[in-house]
Amino acid sequence: MSESQTLQTLPVLPLKNTALFPFLMTPLSVGRPASLAAVEAALATEKKELVVVAQRDPNVEEPTQDDLYTVGTKAIVRKMSRPSDELMELLVLGVERVVIVRLEHTEPYLTAKIQPLPLPTDTGTEVEALQRAIVELAGKAISLAQPQAPPELARMLASSEDPLRLVFLLASMFSLDLAKEQKLLECESRVDALRLMHQYLSYEVQVLELRTKIASEARSEMSKEQREYLLRQQMRAIQQELGERNPEQAEVDLLRERLEKADLPEDVRKEVERELGRLERLPAAAPDFHVIRSYIELVLELPWRVSTQDNLDIANARQVLDEDHYDLKEVKERILEFLGVMKMNPSAKAPILCFVGPPGVGKTSLGQSIARAIGRKFERMSLGGLHDEAELRGHRRTYVGAMPGRLIQAVRRAGSNNPVIMLDEVDKLGRDYRGDPASALLEILDPEQNKSFRDNYLDLPFSLANVFFITTANTLDSIPGPLLDRMEILRLAGYTEEEKIQIARRYLIPRQLKEAGLSDEQLSITDEALKKIIGGYTREAGLRRLERAIARIARKTALKFAEGHGEPVVIRPEDLVEMLGPQPFMPEDARKTLPPGVATGLAWTETGGDVLYLEATLLPDGKGLTLTGQLGEVMQESAKAAQSYVWSHADELGIDLKLFRDAGVHLHVPAGATPKDGPSAGVTAVVALASMYTKQPVRSDTAMTGEITLSGLVLPIGGVKEKVLAARRAGIRRVILPKANEKDLRDVPEEARNEMQFIFAERIEDVIVNTIPALAERLAAPAQTA
Amino acid sequence: MFFPSQSFGEAVWRPAADVYRRPDGWLLKFDLAGVSPGDVVISVEGRRVTVRGVRRDNVLDECCTCYRMEITYSEFERTVDLPCVVENAHWEIEFNNGMLLVRLHGGGAL
Repeated sequence: MSESQTLQTLPVLPLKNTALFPFLMTPLSVGRPASLAAVEAALATEKKELVVVAQRDPNVEEPTQDDLYTVGTKAIVRKMSRPSDELMELLVLGVERVVIVRLEHTEPYLTAKIQPLPLPTDTGTEVEALQRAIVELAGKAISLAQPQAPPELARMLASSEDPLRLVFLLASMFSLDLAKEQKLLECESRVDALRLMHQYLSYEVQVLELRTKIASEARSEMSKEQREYLLRQQMRAIQQELGERNPEQAEVDLLRERLEKADLPEDVRKEVERELGRLERLPAAAPDFHVIRSYIELVLELPWRVSTQDNLDIANARQVLDEDHYDLKEVKERILEFLGVMKMNPSAKAPILCFVGPPGVGKTSLGQSIARAIGRKFERMSLGGLHDEAELRGHRRTYVGAMPGRLIQAVRRAGSNNPVIMLDEVDKLGRDYRGDPASALLEILDPEQNKSFRDNYLDLPFSLANVFFITTANTLDSIPGPLLDRMEILRLAGYTEEEKIQIARRYLIPRQLKEAGLSDEQLSITDEALKKIIGGYTREAGLRRLERAIARIARKTALKFAEGHGEPVVIRPEDLVEMLGPQPFMPEDARKTLPPGVATGLAWTETGGDVLYLEATLLPDGKGLTLTGQLGEVMQESAKAAQSYVWSHADELGIDLKLFRDAGVHLHVPAGATPKDGPSAGVTAVVALASMYTKQPVRSDTAMTGEITLSGLVLPIGGVKEKVLAARRAGIRRVILPKANEKDLRDVPEEARNEMQFIFAERIEDVIVNTIPALAERLAAPAQTA
Repeated sequence: MFFPSQSFGEAVWRPAADVYRRPDGWLLKFDLAGVSPGDVVISVEGRRVTVRGVRRDNVLDECCTCYRMEITYSEFERTVDLPCVVENAHWEIEFNNGMLLVRLHGGGAL
């Protein structure tokens, strides 16, 4: 037989991306001109047959033999429709696997000589097993991918007897990629084809299972949100059914109710009405909702017209003040005066007081007793370290997290518009680029301006005119002048030993006994022991350390009782070492004898007064004046003036002038680490230098203070009481003061005054005469003795 | 995703058939329009009647280009199973307006 007899020639329809399988009816779209021509040619024959073969590369438009696979399928066109000249829709039936022997023509369409390639027909248990497994897997895959797939499909798969028919159908259903499809088509045995399909289906089932899992997870996530939304809607519906309004509306109603009851000035009421209106129109989720709500709450809570009735019973007030504080006559008098004025003229302005004094003297507690005495609310705020003006005056409401200033908050807490407000540590106000709180205080503390104090947050004028302001400070130096000017300064100086004993007896010991749970029979402290605590264990102007020491004694005693001790405890001076440890301060420290060049000075400090020693020494072959001991500028100048005075009066003092030329001087003031400043050590420097140059010692029982001039005058100084008390603490009983300070002695407690000798000096010579005995005869100037 | 637009197909097509019972036998009607009587072969075996043949596309010579094809050509085969054995029946055929009528006379009981 010749070749042309055995081989059929048919038009070729090349396919992109897919292979056509025998037994299957497959729809195809044809658009390429050569393919259209091939189909036309096929349709023009009786049998309507053509060869369908896949392209190796789908991007080739005009394939040649090398671009086509060699195994294809002979197919019959069963149905065709051609909606336009460029497109044909075909339904073709694969009938036979064929091999393309060679391409005959390429124009106008491909034709090929083909040879049938019968499908393999091998059988066996493996074929059987694979076939069943595939049917099962395919059922699973179909139910996963398309749960609504008609059951006939699975039945059709199961009923398919020829395993290859099954494989081909599944391959075209699952849209395998072309390489796999082609491999199936070219398979040499059924087993090969079944294995390939099985492998693919197992993978596909896994992917589908995963996909289903992901989808179901996403669905459950979604339904949770939907559930919440639904519940919320239901809640709303229930509330409506029950006649309840939604919570936001209820809140607005509540505020409106409060507004109607509140006693507000007319302009304030209008403002609140306006804000309430805005609130009603806002959804609760709007960020402004809460801002406006807190604002309205603040306005409603402020005591616009609420004030407490002052208790103007002066006898009662005096009693309360005396109960709480010992002594402090001046301050108490001032408060009682104010009460007197209030009684006579109820519209009088409240005073603005400033308590100045060392720590622990009772400034803060005095404020509390004032409030108690006149029956006002008490609010206290510390200004220490405050550096932001907005803290006092509030932030504008436009800022996130804005709040009213501390003053408005204090008034709100107090609940009345005439509380006692204590501004602690007004001397420690900070000041930086963020603003100057001291300047904000100017408005607050000015009775003319604070009638209509405007907080940035509140943005409505609020009157602070009836507020009784009390500020406290340790020193006036760091308070700006204009602020100081607005306040009435009341000094609370340090306490004397006698005062401290009194205070301890009346207040501190009873308080600490109560704290420790002891009765006054169980623990008593002798006066001698108290004196030793005051002098040896606590050196301070105030009472804090004293109270701590008493507290410690009380605790230790309580421990003894708790351990079963039965006898009452009496604390004597010798018990203190056991109770408080070794004495930290030696009873001062007054040096018994002084070498030439050392003089005793007095200093005022924030914690009261102090005794300090000026030490001068000659530096042979040295030059100039060296000053050490952290001396401030004023003090350095004062020391220079002192040297100049001594130099200029060398003759009178009997000093060899050569000493000034040939030797330098070093002046040192211990303790070296404490900064010191001020002019009041002038006389001390003169005495120290005179003593040094003349090599005559200074009397060790005399302390001195005073500013000097070059001409030898002694000028007055401040802090007389503290300085005198410090000298007394140190055991010095002879003090030289400037003549002009004589009047200040009346501040010094009487017992101290009686115990001590005061010398008032007008000129330097008076001081030298009274301190360096050896020079007294040389300078026969008269000294005045008190 | 992959609902079978594909389905199995046979290389031969099956014409539609009606079957009628008559007092003395059976009448079978086959939808075979366009099939010439010479191209039809009928065989009867047991209870089974088979019609084979071919429908030829008789406009091929007119040099036309096909734009729609819904009629199926080439070989067809249709087997009809009857409730009783008709192997020995006498039968005659008739073409009537495109329908092939097969009449079976006698030929066994049900």
